[in-house]
This record gives sequence, structure tokens and C-alpha cells, in this order.
Amino acid sequence: MSTHPQQTYLARTFDDSRYDRARSRRTRRRAVLAEAALLAALVTATLVCAASPQGWSTWYFVVWTAGMLGFIPLHSLLNLGIRGVFDRSSRSLDEHQQELRERSYVAVAWPAWGLHFTAFAGAVALVALTDEVALGLCLGFLLWMTAGLLAYWHLAWTAPDEPTDADL
Amino acid sequence: MHDRIAVLRADRGVSRKELADAVGVHPQTIGYVERGEYSPSLALALRIARFFDLPVEAVFSLDPLPSLSEELLRRTS
Repeated sequence: MSTHPQQTYLARTFDDSRYDRARSRRTRRRAVLAEAALLAALVTATLVCAASPQGWSTWYFVVWTAGMLGFIPLHSLLNLGIRGVFDRSSRSLDEHQQELRERSYVAVAWPAWGLHFTAFAGAVALVALTDEVALGLCLGFLLWMTAGLLAYWHLAWTAPDEPTDADL
Repeated sequence: MHDRIAVLRADRGVSRKELADAVGVHPQTIGYVERGEYSPSLALALRIARFFDLPVEAVFSLDPLPSLSEELLRRTS
């Protein structure tokens, strides 16, 4: 790595001290729980909708849209809590941040692989059982997204509280 | 790994941010090193030692480091 991490616009945003409250372990863990609950609710809604006789319906579209819109601020909060280490260029991360990122990737590698497989198998099974292609795609997308989020959740959950900035 | 970074910073009047900028890491990383929650790479350890103009073994050690006052007392006695 370069001696000095590059401070891109994105990196400056994630390092902005105005978001220090988002970086406490308590806030990070709450964001993880909220995001996991939101995705679990959307998966449940997809399965309920697929099991209902009318299939794809307006209420499901509303729930899906609300869930996706709610995900945006929630994930922003989570990302601020971990300084966006998964979304920033490696050049803007120092060796410790890169190590944290690698550690979380490695820790969730197998569960993420399992979820990727479940996303594919679940989508195929749902379409085969109900002929609802759109719902199959939604289920596959949600599980695929969850697989991608596991590393974020792991880091947000396990990272220690940051040193206080009193003497910066 | 044990280190004297916090003591040296206090002695030289250097903030965590100033040290971090000088050695090319984020200030939080210096904090993690000081708290013993992160063992720096050899390159970073050498840059930190060079910043304080000290040999690396005076800043970092695998064993607990004696306090500077103890060491000073030992050398003067």
C-alpha cells in the first residue's frame, strides 16, 4: 500500500467527525439488527405472497418498495459506523482498515457461499412451485443481497469501539 | 505487542493525528496500536520509531516495557 492513504471525497465523508455517534458499538449493532430484521421481513413477505392464491400483488409491491427505501438510510448508518471500509478504494484505507476488511470477508466466506447457493436454489424452487417468476427473482435478489451484507454485519458487530478522539 | 507510543507522544507533545499523518495511517489506527488491539506491520513500526528518532526496540517490544522513569533511574544510578 502507499504510505499515505488517499483521501477521496468518499473517504472524507466516511471519516467525517460529524458521524462519530454512528461509530459506537451500540449504534452499529442496532443497525445490523435492524437491517437483518428488514431483510427477514422482506423474505417472509415474498414467501407469503408466493403462497397466496393471487401471487404477485399490489400490497407486495408496496411492501417491497417501502423496504428498499428504508434500506437506504439504514445501510448508510451502518456504513458510516464502519467507515465504509467495504465501499472505499483500497488506496484510501490504511493497513489496519484493510486487515479488518479481510478478516470479515474470511469470517463470513462459508455462510456467504451458502446463502449464494440458497439464493439460486430458492429462486428456482419458488418459480418451479408457483410459476411466479417475479417473486422468484425477488427472493433470489434478497438472499443474494443478504450474502453480500454478511461481511458488513460481521465487521459492524465485532469491531471494537474506536479510541476516543480527545487528544487528536 | 507492547509499545511506548502514548508516553512518547505525551513527552513530545504530539497529537495522535499528527503522528498518524506523519506515518501515513488513520488516527484511529494509532489509537488501536496504543491500546494493544492492533500489532502494526514492520514497516509501520519502523516509520513510528523513525518519527520519534528512536530505535524500533525502544518503542516496541514483545515483553512489557519498563516505564521511562524506571529506566532513567536505572541508567543514572
